[in-house]
Amino acid sequence: MALYVTAKTLDNKVFYTNEKIYMPIPQQLGRGQKMGRGPYEKSGLIHDSALPPRKTTKESFMIPVYTESEEEGKLIRTQIAQDFVVEVEIWYLPYGKKDDPGNAQKWFSVTKNLHLPADEK
Amino acid sequence: MKRISKKMLLALGLVGPLLLAHANAEEQKAKTIAELVARYDSSSCVDCHMKEYDEWNKSLHARSIFGPLEVGRTAATFITTIENGLKEWPHSGVKTREDVGVKHLMVCAKCHLPQLQDAEDSVAREIVQNLYAFAEDPEDEEIKDTLLSLNINCLVCHNRNAITHKWTEGYPDVKTVYGSKTGPHDDPAYPTMKASTIMGESILCGQCHGLGPNFELDNPTQCATLYGSHLFAYIPDGGKHTCQECHMRKSGLGHDMQAYRSPEMVKMALDVEVEANAFQWRDVNTMTPAAHLLVEITNKAGHAIPDG
Repeated sequence: MALYVTAKTLDNKVFYTNEKIYMPIPQQLGRGQKMGRGPYEKSGLIHDSALPPRKTTKESFMIPVYTESEEEGKLIRTQIAQDFVVEVEIWYLPYGKKDDPGNAQKWFSVTKNLHLPADEK
Repeated sequence: MKRISKKMLLALGLVGPLLLAHANAEEQKAKTIAELVARYDSSSCVDCHMKEYDEWNKSLHARSIFGPLEVGRTAATFITTIENGLKEWPHSGVKTREDVGVKHLMVCAKCHLPQLQDAEDSVAREIVQNLYAFAEDPEDEEIKDTLLSLNINCLVCHNRNAITHKWTEGYPDVKTVYGSKTGPHDDPAYPTMKASTIMGESILCGQCHGLGPNFELDNPTQCATLYGSHLFAYIPDGGKHTCQECHMRKSGLGHDMQAYRSPEMVKMALDVEVEANAFQWRDVNTMTPAAHLLVEITNKAGHAIPDG
């Protein structure tokens, strides 16, 4: 399962992406630090980031809405947009990819419209 | 019975002359797929339980070795298991696909076809032949129907797997269906019905939906870990619901027990809250335009999401 965050300008230019993966990482044949892929070689777990039952998982994202450049040794930050959108999607990806019709399932999506005050010093 | 097509009958195991009574299960093992299908023939259930049949027919239980959709993903994974597992492991005894016997297929069939235990190696070889034949010609409907005829049907849950504690309650009686009531049952093949002690309990589902590595196998496999998560994470945190309560009753899906593909189950699984704001963060003269996003995901299911 994956959580995707994308920030875009109103004309659809992506300026920020991030993702979080939630899944158990099965151990290969119950030994070592390598993940087992098929059920026939999975035994045990190395790590587990799956969403635990009856718990709330909080994810916090700080999204920079600027580009950085340098002019005469001075850091300049240029605001990308005053109005922009942040899209949040949660996908169930049994085979690890979105492009998998019938298997990959979009479980949740929302778009937040955001407005920044003008950059007036 | 008018609503039942030939394909449906095959899926349910009505295969005419090769029909064998389930009562023979302990006497001799099935020698062919047709015999195994006949031994677990649930076709007579449909006469009275059409609603349950229709629900079940939409579920993955109805295509447990073929898999979802039309591509036969589960069937393909059986082949991967043979090619990348059994044939690669030096002590499996499998050098070619013809060497695959029941004990080898049980690494998958423990859950995808538990009744394979009631078959001889010839059935395992026939299944393997069909798996490879389907991979070579996915348009062959006859092969597909053969693979679909092997499934988790009424008799697997309501008879074969209906008793977990056999020293306590005895072994499932081959002429009895186990459900919610005790009394006579209007089916000559199964004239008795008996209230099951576990039909509404999570342990029924836990037989397949996983604790972790299947240690009873010579080479343990691990597909699902849901029941382990249910026992060791959900219950300790105060969870009270059984698998059946959510996947059958609250979802309204009945015998169409679904998981991540079902909108009903998805709605029940997660609560998601999203908050966002934008601001100018100021460090002396440097303005930092930014946004903060907080996503809170609450897992309301009786197990971790996902498992595996």
